[in-house]
Amino acid sequence: MTYLSFTFQTLVVLLSAPLLVGMIQTLKARFQNRQGASIFLPYVSMLSLLRKEMTITKNSSWVFCAVPFVVLGTALFLALAVPALFFGVTPNSLDNIFLFGAVAALGSIFLVFGGMDTGSTFGNMGSSREMTLAALVEPALYVSLATFALAAGTWGLGGIVGHFASLPWIVAVPPVLVTLTGFLFVLLAENARYPVDNPATHLELTMVHEAMILEYSGTYLAMLEYASAVKLTALLTLFLSILIPFGIIAVPVSALSLAVAVLTFLAKLALGAFLIAFIESVVVKMRFYRMQEYMTLAFFVSLLGLVILLVVLHH
Amino acid sequence: MPVSILECLFAIAMVLPLFGAVLSLATSRFSFNNTLVQSVFALSGLSGLVAGGYFFALFRMSEGVFIAVTFPGLITVALGSLQVFFLMLVYGGVFLTSLYAIHSLPPYKDVYALPWLNVASAFFVVGMEATIFAPSLFSFLLFWELMSVSAYFLVIADKSDESLRAGWLYFVMTHIGFACIAAGFLLLAQGNLFASWNDVGLSALSASPLGISVAFILLLAGFGSKAGLVPLHQWLPYAHPQAPSGSSALLSGVMLKVALFGFIQALVLFPFVSFSLALLVIGIGLLSAFFGALRAAVENDAKRVLAWSSIENMGIIFSAVGLYLLVQGSAESAVSAIAPSIALFIVLHIVNHFIFKTGLFMAIGAVASKTHTRNLDELGGLAQHWPMFAGIVLALSLAAAALPPFGTFFGEWAYFQTLASGMTLSAFFGGSFALILALLTLVGGLALFAYVRMFSAIFLGRARTPHAEHVSSMPLFLWLPPFIAVVLSVAAGLFLFPLLGASGATSGIAKLFSSTVIADGASINSWVVVGAMVVIALLLLAFRRLFSNTKPSRITDTWDCGQPLTARMEYTATGFSAPIRFFFKSILMSEKELIVERVSSSNPWIVRRHLVWSIQSFFEYWLYRPIGIAVFAASNAVKKLQNGVIQLYLLLVICALVLTLVSTL
Amino acid sequence: MLRLLSKIITTGTRVQKMSHVRTPVKEIGENLKQAIHTLYGGRSLRIRHVDAGSTNGEEYELTALGNAFYDIERFGISFVASPRHADILTVSGPVTRNMEHALKTAYEMTPEPKIVIALGDGACTGGIWKDSYAVVDAVENVIPVDARIPGDPPTPEDVLQGLLGIVAALRK
Repeated sequence: MTYLSFTFQTLVVLLSAPLLVGMIQTLKARFQNRQGASIFLPYVSMLSLLRKEMTITKNSSWVFCAVPFVVLGTALFLALAVPALFFGVTPNSLDNIFLFGAVAALGSIFLVFGGMDTGSTFGNMGSSREMTLAALVEPALYVSLATFALAAGTWGLGGIVGHFASLPWIVAVPPVLVTLTGFLFVLLAENARYPVDNPATHLELTMVHEAMILEYSGTYLAMLEYASAVKLTALLTLFLSILIPFGIIAVPVSALSLAVAVLTFLAKLALGAFLIAFIESVVVKMRFYRMQEYMTLAFFVSLLGLVILLVVLHH
Repeated sequence: MPVSILECLFAIAMVLPLFGAVLSLATSRFSFNNTLVQSVFALSGLSGLVAGGYFFALFRMSEGVFIAVTFPGLITVALGSLQVFFLMLVYGGVFLTSLYAIHSLPPYKDVYALPWLNVASAFFVVGMEATIFAPSLFSFLLFWELMSVSAYFLVIADKSDESLRAGWLYFVMTHIGFACIAAGFLLLAQGNLFASWNDVGLSALSASPLGISVAFILLLAGFGSKAGLVPLHQWLPYAHPQAPSGSSALLSGVMLKVALFGFIQALVLFPFVSFSLALLVIGIGLLSAFFGALRAAVENDAKRVLAWSSIENMGIIFSAVGLYLLVQGSAESAVSAIAPSIALFIVLHIVNHFIFKTGLFMAIGAVASKTHTRNLDELGGLAQHWPMFAGIVLALSLAAAALPPFGTFFGEWAYFQTLASGMTLSAFFGGSFALILALLTLVGGLALFAYVRMFSAIFLGRARTPHAEHVSSMPLFLWLPPFIAVVLSVAAGLFLFPLLGASGATSGIAKLFSSTVIADGASINSWVVVGAMVVIALLLLAFRRLFSNTKPSRITDTWDCGQPLTARMEYTATGFSAPIRFFFKSILMSEKELIVERVSSSNPWIVRRHLVWSIQSFFEYWLYRPIGIAVFAASNAVKKLQNGVIQLYLLLVICALVLTLVSTL
Repeated sequence: MLRLLSKIITTGTRVQKMSHVRTPVKEIGENLKQAIHTLYGGRSLRIRHVDAGSTNGEEYELTALGNAFYDIERFGISFVASPRHADILTVSGPVTRNMEHALKTAYEMTPEPKIVIALGDGACTGGIWKDSYAVVDAVENVIPVDARIPGDPPTPEDVLQGLLGIVAALRK
């Protein structure tokens, strides 16, 4: 039963990932008073990419071709570690917070390799920037994850969300609100969203994430786009599961509670999409060379969150 | 009976390098000289490894088990698990590097005097071994000096100006360190140079607290200077890369561990370590880790990147040692309960750092010997020539960046997890552990940056200069030792991690597959993690089978917006790290200047521009330079006395005599 | 921020209604058919625009497609940054000799199945630059063209109608 729920949860996260991207795009369009594309557009885009031919640059090695697989693999790993519907179903070792951070880093650096292995200045530039961001976002990521874990007194993501879900909201969540803010900073930086990166840009000089995947096409591009959607979904799910820990259930489940869990999950995703679309509509992209301010801010907010929690714990 | 086999193996392992040295000189005229000598070294390493493995199979990691190894008719030394553990690192290093040296040294036979280089290596190895099993203070200092001096000859092996300068710096620093170590130990031993370790420990019991603190700081400075801790690290990034690559691997992968061993052995002698001294060790460790990682991220010489990263890793290990000192003596059982997890990290990271650093030094050495450059800005695109070798270096880089599925990740996991779970202990531990954790993750991020940059600059994209364009294939003995390092690195996570970290209840084969548990119950099972990664990899390969067969890929040019791309347009390693140089400008003291060359002073037409950038060493500027200025000022002041007037000198002699008389009366 | 949000709410969507769609394709080529068929009926199309020496008139009109009035995204059509990501190459301008090679490489990089649309008179025929020594005239002299959208420059509505026309004509 546990394994069944685990597989089911992973599948739900994996299948809803393009939906989240679609919702964000549509909501952003609505914020611009446009009608926007269907929220199911990313599914069609990715499927049509799978049917397309691949063209590959001649200046690349096997690393270039390995990148989509590793990046997608790490995204899958993140997806199976986050408790979206149930808590306590992920095998104990797989949802450890430090493993979560390391796997996220593994995905980021392989994207960087992909950008470097093209011999193109755009890819190189994107890689250099992404690597800087990935290196500097690390402290904030680990500190905020450790804070959640400390608040819950357990080190697996499943246990953490279980803790928040089983206590009344007003008791459990307020001590980590500051950390959640810090985690939001991390989430935006890790997923190349505003104000760190512009996911919809066509100007190579302003790109970070897009610049690294300029040379990918067909199946590989679909894998990379899907991987970034899954990563966004995984991190956003974690964020929302702690902020609004409702509807997350423990196994065994009945059909009704399962339906409720899935629906709440989708509702939360919609809320998350709205949140991101809202942020992207009201803030501007920062200059890259001011990123240190953003990263320092993210780090200090996370550290402040940790200090607040420690004060709560020890008094 | 088995113990005698063990003794025999150890004795063989210890004597063989000397035999190799003799052989090296005896057969120096023959072409097989190097191969023969390296095989003898490799045999020594192998028998040492077998002996060490056998030792642990017999006695486990138990304390207090000592076996006496007697050299035929010479001396008897006692080996405990601590000694055997470090000896195994030495022998592992010797085994890998001598395999590597079979092919790596001959191309340089005009540069190095090979027979003599091998003699120096043999003495270096013997020095390290003997330092580890030295039974008394005097022998320890003697062999330490043997190790240091023979390392000096390894550093200056190619006799270039740069090497001689680096060697000189090393020589001076290592002797300052030696003086500190000798002084520290003598303080502990109350002046008895010939004391055995037991006697030193006994006399340390009666030493004054001040004397103990001073001795501790001296020993920390002495061993720290060898281990490359800031601010005494100046020599390391210059000296380590200058040696032949195999020797660099030994210097960085093993000799630093011997320094750590010396420090740990010294710690055992101390009756107590005060709280503030433990904090000092943590602070210096973290500072080293941060500076090492930061400089590794902006360094352009490939081997120097590795050397800076050694400083970083030794810093991390020392911070853990300091932490161990802090919690181990604590009266509260909850606090001292986290000490074993920290020890677990220390042991694992010593092994892991040894594995990946040895492997990387050999791999980068192989690249340098094929391309004739170590400058990252001149390489590139080598993954197309050596796909498999690139994979090996990639794996080692990931291991160095502490990413799963390599053993390094599991080691660091133990450290991070201990720090994070230790925050619940008290407000003090909460705050300090939070800061340590935050700093360590920043260090981890920077190390990640450094290794990604190094790998991408060497292997990815296209060749930036002709150096990397036409390269011959990689011979077996250049890639096999790094490959063994990759296998070992994975094995360290899968076998060593559970064996050392499993809870006491499990035993036998079950122990191998059990979870590793940190003090407060957080646990991870490396088999599950690696297994999950393998399953995901298989799923993706199945996906590839399903989708990629139908659509063959077409190879085209890189997207260039219409303007053909050249290798000059690629990002160099320098350009890659520009954001880091900018963000940490004040610490790196980096400066850049655009030099514009005009046709003539009256004509504004620009012939060319070039960018000059430099990084200054923070410590050189703020610590060494002021000391230098002070020393020069002092000697200038003293110069006033030396005015050549004989009467003044006589007066000085009389003053000295009077002072002596007064003080003795 | 509040002012911005209130502006967004009070303005509402004012998207142009697309009443009738006319096709710019005289006879539908085999390549087009296959492309639309493979790409799920063209529900999601990605465009890479190549300026092969135009007056920038076409580019202005294309930019207008993204605004709130024309809103090309609602039809699942978007612009991308690399020809490797594209399903459609739109080419404008009478291909100048300097851009000839670039256009060829861009075409080469675009993965099959792909649709090439000549945008504007310059790209369709060479326009007022026809037979000049500096240009190679129509795009079809360099790469195969599937559809043409004439006009100097074509209005955003023309472009939109053209794009949708291709898809609609083939879906029937």
